Amino acid sequence: MTLERVQSNLRGIAYAMLMVVTVAALMRVLREIGYPLQSSMLFIIPVLIAGSRWGLVPALVAAGGGIAISAYFFIYPLYGFSVTEHQSLVRVLLYVFVAVVTSHLSSQLKRQIEISRQREIDMRDLYAFSRRLAVAFDVPEIHAAIEDHLASVTERRVILFANAQEAASGKGRRGGGAVPDKVRTKVGEIAANPQAATASALVETANRETWLVRAVSPKSPEFGVVAVNLGHEHDAVINELRVRVETALADATATLERLGVAHAISEARMRAQTEQLREALIGSVSHELRTPLASIIGAATVLGSAPALAGEGKLKALVTDVHDEAERLNHDIQNLLDASRISSDGINPKAEWADPADIINSALDRCRRRLKGHPVSLDVPVDLPLLHIDPVLIKQALVQVFDNAAKYSPAGAPIGVTVKNLGKQISITVHDHGVGLTDSEKTSMLDRFFRGERLAATTSGSGLGLWIANAFVDANGGQLITNSDGPDLGTSITIELPVAEAAMTNVDNDSDE
Amino acid sequence: MSNPGSVVLIVDDEVQIRRFLRTGFELNGYNVHEAGTGAEAIRLATLQPIDLVITDLALPDVDGAEIVERIRSWSSVPIIVLSVRSNESEKVKLLELGADDYIVKPFGMAELMARVRVAMRRQMRAASGEPIVKVGPLAINLATRSVTLNDERLTLTPKEYRLLQVLAQHAGNVVTHQHLLKEVWGSIHVHDTHYLRIFVRKLRQKIEPDPNIPRILLTELGVGYRLAQSGSEPENAAAGMENSVKSTN
Repeated sequence: MTLERVQSNLRGIAYAMLMVVTVAALMRVLREIGYPLQSSMLFIIPVLIAGSRWGLVPALVAAGGGIAISAYFFIYPLYGFSVTEHQSLVRVLLYVFVAVVTSHLSSQLKRQIEISRQREIDMRDLYAFSRRLAVAFDVPEIHAAIEDHLASVTERRVILFANAQEAASGKGRRGGGAVPDKVRTKVGEIAANPQAATASALVETANRETWLVRAVSPKSPEFGVVAVNLGHEHDAVINELRVRVETALADATATLERLGVAHAISEARMRAQTEQLREALIGSVSHELRTPLASIIGAATVLGSAPALAGEGKLKALVTDVHDEAERLNHDIQNLLDASRISSDGINPKAEWADPADIINSALDRCRRRLKGHPVSLDVPVDLPLLHIDPVLIKQALVQVFDNAAKYSPAGAPIGVTVKNLGKQISITVHDHGVGLTDSEKTSMLDRFFRGERLAATTSGSGLGLWIANAFVDANGGQLITNSDGPDLGTSITIELPVAEAAMTNVDNDSDE
Repeated sequence: MSNPGSVVLIVDDEVQIRRFLRTGFELNGYNVHEAGTGAEAIRLATLQPIDLVITDLALPDVDGAEIVERIRSWSSVPIIVLSVRSNESEKVKLLELGADDYIVKPFGMAELMARVRVAMRRQMRAASGEPIVKVGPLAINLATRSVTLNDERLTLTPKEYRLLQVLAQHAGNVVTHQHLLKEVWGSIHVHDTHYLRIFVRKLRQKIEPDPNIPRILLTELGVGYRLAQSGSEPENAAAGMENSVKSTN
């Protein structure tokens, strides 16, 4: 029996006695004011309460106390422990019998409640654990989940080592203080050969703390090895904790296996490596391809305006070709970069108050070169509300839309831009007189890498433009809608953007006019 | 408006970039110095008088922003930054540090020369104390605080004038939102971009021939505004006019 247990028993006994005395006092008061109670059955109450709250020992003490007090104070002859009347004797015996039985029953009930409460907590822990695992994406998250689960089950410090190297460094997943050398060595041993270590090992450190070391799952070494600091405890407690750890780990492993986490971990590792490789690739594409392009485009423009080429029409045309093609390549690379950024880390719009007219003008400005020859008409109402969006992203979306309109319209065909204020949102529609859309093209137009089959052979492109535009608009809480009356009847692409509730209109009205 | 004999310092670690910039500037009558690292750039800038600095942002030894900061600590020479990253917050940071303008790689030589001319002209105007800034039909007299459009005097509110004044002082160069807000509304309003949007709209109604297609007060999305200067239009400006963007409203 631990010290805590003794303490809690003593406390229970004290409370039980207090209740017995209270009942006695109550009976005494009742007798004084003219309601004498013959029955000592009232003393059953403290027994029941003590039994259900503090267990068998306090209940028995309450029963004994009740007998003594009623014999002394309430049963003739008063103020003596002897019981002479037959009736009283029967009553006392009955009381003793009832008291013993009920105290036993109630303390058993208490144990049952405790056990079921503990089970409930365990179940809740396990449930929380499996829920956490289900949403864990990478190995560190899974390890953290195992660590936290064990810590909450054992109420001890738990450190998880993913592998032998981690054990050697002495640092667990999340640091959390130093681990004694002896424990570290043991973790290293088990991590090196998890199949051999099926049971948990106990390690006693220099300052007499007991540590429990065990592979999370002997079958799946990738789950790692846990070390639990059991502290200074007696053997019985250590055994109890050990059983708890074993049970928790068995449950945890079952959950992990059910979720296919072992497989997932190795896959996640592979994915992380692939991701790294891809990031590196994108980084180098961005640098290695765009840097030479900057030189090519820059050099082409210098050449194009060189006095030596003045009057050399054919040579100048060649230089223009170099420039145009390099620009196109640059545009494609930019699209690839945007696309991989969208799919790898999502988009973080930096919203600010922006004037939709500014965004449209800025996009048109950017597309000047590509819109060359297409007369552009602009229908923008005055007094458009300001929008709370990322203007740069929306501009880039519009650039893609303009690019698309120019690409799929015959040279010289007009392109129109119409802006409408719809109250809760504004719509920007770009309509062209180009090749239009078939029904099937309409549905798949916004798919990644989609290219209409009718024109794939005659126009160039990666099929990313509108997909990017759609992602950028979507990230700003808007939507992109494509429409067409049919093949060769032109296409209109509408970007709808939300108008914030508190659209700013009544700011500072320059009252110092 | 080229400046024959002006000295330009080109700072970039890519030799090909330096080569075309050198050729481009020499064709425009400049004397060119080159530096491949930040340290060399600082050394060259301290050794001799420089009229213009063109610097890349990604240098092997220091950040381009640091070069801007260091040069600004003793000189007001025009600085134009070359950047591959079209990251707006970085542009804002560079401008706040004292860069005159930026240009995103890849860029054409004509586009860069336009920025250069604007930056150099501002420098000259600041030196000569010329009070009148002209943008197309618009003339702003900073001394008499009068604004005329096609020689007709405009009535502006004090804040509208202040906005135009700050832009005119940097005519041709981008002025960041933060700077404009601080100058016109005070430093507690530096994040109230919507003030700016509404006043720019009002101002455009008064100074732009077609407020829907601004040609005088230009927007640099996510960064700020700039007052157009004849030299500051991008290289295809003339060609762009053929596109005949028309407002039907």
